[in-house]
Amino acid sequence: MPLTHRGREILSRVPGGTLQSTVGVGCEIVRHEELCVGCGKCASNCPSGASGRGDFFDVNQLLEAPADSRRGALGGALRRLMQHAPDGPIEVPERVTVYRTIIYDDEKCLGCGTCARGCPAEAIEARPPQADAAPTGLASEGATAPEGGCA
Amino acid sequence: MTADRKIVAFCCRECAYAAADASANARTPLPPTVRLVLMPCTGRVSPLHLLSALAEGADGVMVAGCLLGQCHYREGNFMAVDRVAFVQRLLKSVGVEPERCQMFTMSAGEPPKFVAAVREMDRVIVGLPPLPRSEAGESREVAPVADATLAAVRGAA
Repeated sequence: MPLTHRGREILSRVPGGTLQSTVGVGCEIVRHEELCVGCGKCASNCPSGASGRGDFFDVNQLLEAPADSRRGALGGALRRLMQHAPDGPIEVPERVTVYRTIIYDDEKCLGCGTCARGCPAEAIEARPPQADAAPTGLASEGATAPEGGCA
Repeated sequence: MTADRKIVAFCCRECAYAAADASANARTPLPPTVRLVLMPCTGRVSPLHLLSALAEGADGVMVAGCLLGQCHYREGNFMAVDRVAFVQRLLKSVGVEPERCQMFTMSAGEPPKFVAAVREMDRVIVGLPPLPRSEAGESREVAPVADATLAAVRGAA
């Protein structure tokens, strides 16, 4: 997420203050596909369009889902019927809303963590940037370290 | 007639179930393989209903709903059409014949059409080899209520 005007102004007063990246807060986004329930909240919350709802569904998501979840129940039934491993993603008809795979584009992701905060299934984790990768020029107390933005 | 094959028919209360009722009143014989399940609308049928019926012993599942555009709840049967198509693609991708799951539409005043649909489904299933299924293991549980699901997912995370 870009800095606000005020943020940029404060940054300019910090001696040697440069952010490692001026467009993101740099969280590492870790996605647990097997927990995803396909609600698409991450896609609608994403400010950069890195997450989107796909027109296809990866059948393996059913088979890997926890057995006591809704997707897992469907996967359990499918597992009993299956003759071979799934052929690959299947195309999803328009009115089937939740059995969709979320597309995630690493390139577009800003690392803001909005998707992780809104995820009802806690299938997305936003890990704060590593300490050694954090900007070094910022004074300890004046630095609004990116961790705050990712919780 | 052997009745060792089973067809589960999910019928809309507003049309197909009424048609089935009328056909029974008229003493039209139905294939003994069919089991009717009353649904408030075909829009209530979820992929889980269809797949778990197949997994638990049905050889075929059919969804019988209103004519397109005549749904009592406006668009329930459109949802059913898409969900049936989704289940067919799921089945196909794991090597099961997609014809085992089909959608039929009819109005309440067409008992012969319902009987024809059931016979058509029966004919399709007779032509298919028995459906092999693995024994029920940990996959037998039915979907629990939403709260339990959420708690479990949270616990696992």
